[in-house]
Amino acid sequence: MRNAVRLLDVLDRMENGPIIEEEDFDMNLIPDTIADLQDKYDIHLPADGPIVPSDDALADRLFDAGLALAETVGVYCTDTGRRMTWSKNEILDAIGLAPSFLEVGTFPDAHRQIKRWPEDTRSITIKGGPVGTPLPEHLFLPIQQSYAQEPLVDLMIDGSLETVYGREGRSRSPWEVLLAWHEMEMVKAAVQRAGRPGLGIGCTENSVSEIGELTVTSPDRLGPHHWHHVAMISEFKTNYGLMTKIAHLIKSGSIIHSFYNTIYGGAVGGREGIAIAIVSGCILLQMAYMTTTHSVSPTHPFYGNTTSSEILRGMAPAQQALSRNTHLLTDVVITPAGGPGTKTLLYEVAAQSLLAVASGSAGLIGPRSAAGTEPGHVSGLEARFMAEVAHAALGFSRVEINRLVSELVSRYEADIPNHPVGKRFDEVYDPIRVQPNQEWLNVYEGVKDELRSLGLEMNSAEANASKGEYFTPSINGRRLENA
Amino acid sequence: MAESKDHFDTLRREMSASLHKGDVKAGQETARRALDQGISPTSFFLEVIQPLMTETGRRFERLEIFLPELMKAAKVVKGVQSEVLEPALREGSMESAPRATVVIGACRGDIHDIGKNMVALMLHVNGFEVVDLGVDVSTQAFIDAARKHNAKIIGMSSLLTTSMPYMADLIERLKGLGLRDQFRVIVGGAPVTPAYAERIGADAYGSDAVQAVKLCEQLASGAAVRN
Repeated sequence: MRNAVRLLDVLDRMENGPIIEEEDFDMNLIPDTIADLQDKYDIHLPADGPIVPSDDALADRLFDAGLALAETVGVYCTDTGRRMTWSKNEILDAIGLAPSFLEVGTFPDAHRQIKRWPEDTRSITIKGGPVGTPLPEHLFLPIQQSYAQEPLVDLMIDGSLETVYGREGRSRSPWEVLLAWHEMEMVKAAVQRAGRPGLGIGCTENSVSEIGELTVTSPDRLGPHHWHHVAMISEFKTNYGLMTKIAHLIKSGSIIHSFYNTIYGGAVGGREGIAIAIVSGCILLQMAYMTTTHSVSPTHPFYGNTTSSEILRGMAPAQQALSRNTHLLTDVVITPAGGPGTKTLLYEVAAQSLLAVASGSAGLIGPRSAAGTEPGHVSGLEARFMAEVAHAALGFSRVEINRLVSELVSRYEADIPNHPVGKRFDEVYDPIRVQPNQEWLNVYEGVKDELRSLGLEMNSAEANASKGEYFTPSINGRRLENA
Repeated sequence: MAESKDHFDTLRREMSASLHKGDVKAGQETARRALDQGISPTSFFLEVIQPLMTETGRRFERLEIFLPELMKAAKVVKGVQSEVLEPALREGSMESAPRATVVIGACRGDIHDIGKNMVALMLHVNGFEVVDLGVDVSTQAFIDAARKHNAKIIGMSSLLTTSMPYMADLIERLKGLGLRDQFRVIVGGAPVTPAYAERIGADAYGSDAVQAVKLCEQLASGAAVRN
């Protein structure tokens, strides 16, 4: 549920909640609580266990652990030095009132995202785009178009601009205003050029502070039907700037897409820690931000990717915990270490897409290729591939998906430390015709052949996509059993 | 006898258990007993603390342990240094000089702090005096703090391309104020590259916390750094 009354309640808690030192919150409250809950709920995700488990009891215990973590720690506001906290019943009431489906974009390109279950045969929403990766200004438009024109991309997400009119952009300055305007002008042009003017856009990526978001979120700019981003600071923290975005998005009736990117090996610990934290993070995004869609991107501390096996082992059960026990719309951001032109990128994208589809995630975001750090090392072809794999995976059991994911991980994991960032967009695409070159297509077709040999139907993306059917589940917000 | 290899092995085992548990009191007791037995504070640091923390850092680098374990170990070391070793050094009229002071923070507009915190922590446990300015730190605040604390090194972190220009600003401002020779500047963060660091005239680029420590050791010694 989101409205001005709840917004005021959240802001009141931000100003009046329990006081705690930030270091105490980071280094004592979070890790100590997670350690206790891991023992209490018997959460073990061994390195030699399945990457995609089929253990529903584990998923449910994990949900309970995440719920308890959310109740215990709450969200810390760095500006007030206080925690926003909620009781278990308040949390269950709020997540029970969260939407289980969502329409994004406008006619004739509007897309409906739905809540999914583990092993659900209905389509997962594909949100294609470079997810904040810095893009050279002269390539920004063709890169965004390369995603918008992919028919299997249901919604688009923006990259960020490396420069604005040739100048370096700076956060909290007039440059942020210009960056946000420039992003809006060019992504609108990109969807128009792709012939999909109503495509829902994930924005504003050039809004490091609240300034960019406030600049372009209005009905005549990037309207409420687009999906507007608000970050949670890792771990479980916010500030006045982020809450300013929330206040504006709620008052303007906008879709709120918030994200929580926990750090593997950080304050939450290892596999079990990130699994508990992902569950808790999505719950707390709902509590503090009244968010519409929730995304997670647990990140490797040294490589910046989300596809290392230890991270996948935390992500898969966490997605199952959320999809079995709530109807929150949860997305997985795919951040491969590999970049365009590499097989590694495609293996990574395939593995994480398969995992998310089988685990009941509602959406896939990205891929944020080359860990999102190499300027312009992204292209629309990898979003097409992500969608094709996701649609081909519908109907597979988690046991079958685990076999596929394990095989794919064995093909890419050793390459991750090599930082296989691949090539820049204009080396794998013709930026004028906005089409992939033959070299990149050959790599793509080759990996599709490999997936076919593993048992995935990769022949007809459209046929696979049509396997899904839209359905609005009946939800009561409490523990739900998969019908 | 007191400084025999076997004795140091025993002390390392005891201290290792304290670091693992985060037991500050037990760590301090081990250190006090060692000093009572005639081991000098410097020897205790070099033979017990330093190798254990080096190993702890390596285990973190291999992700065999995580930030909470690293923090626990750091808390013990801090307690041992401040309550046992440093007072003993002062009593002995020896200077308890840290390797150097590092002023560290995330650039203006950037609120990401986990990577920066890891670097700060690793620097601290490796004997540096660390002044952590937090996040969203203005260029002038870095300079003011570096002057106030007589720092040798300024460390700037940015996860955002829109905050990276403040790294260049700092170096330009140091030049403009005639202070460039006083401070070595190390930069890092996901979008920052060695090429960027070189282009803006930074002294070093650190890709992670472990490397940052090695580079700061070189910077503190006055050596030129090559990324």
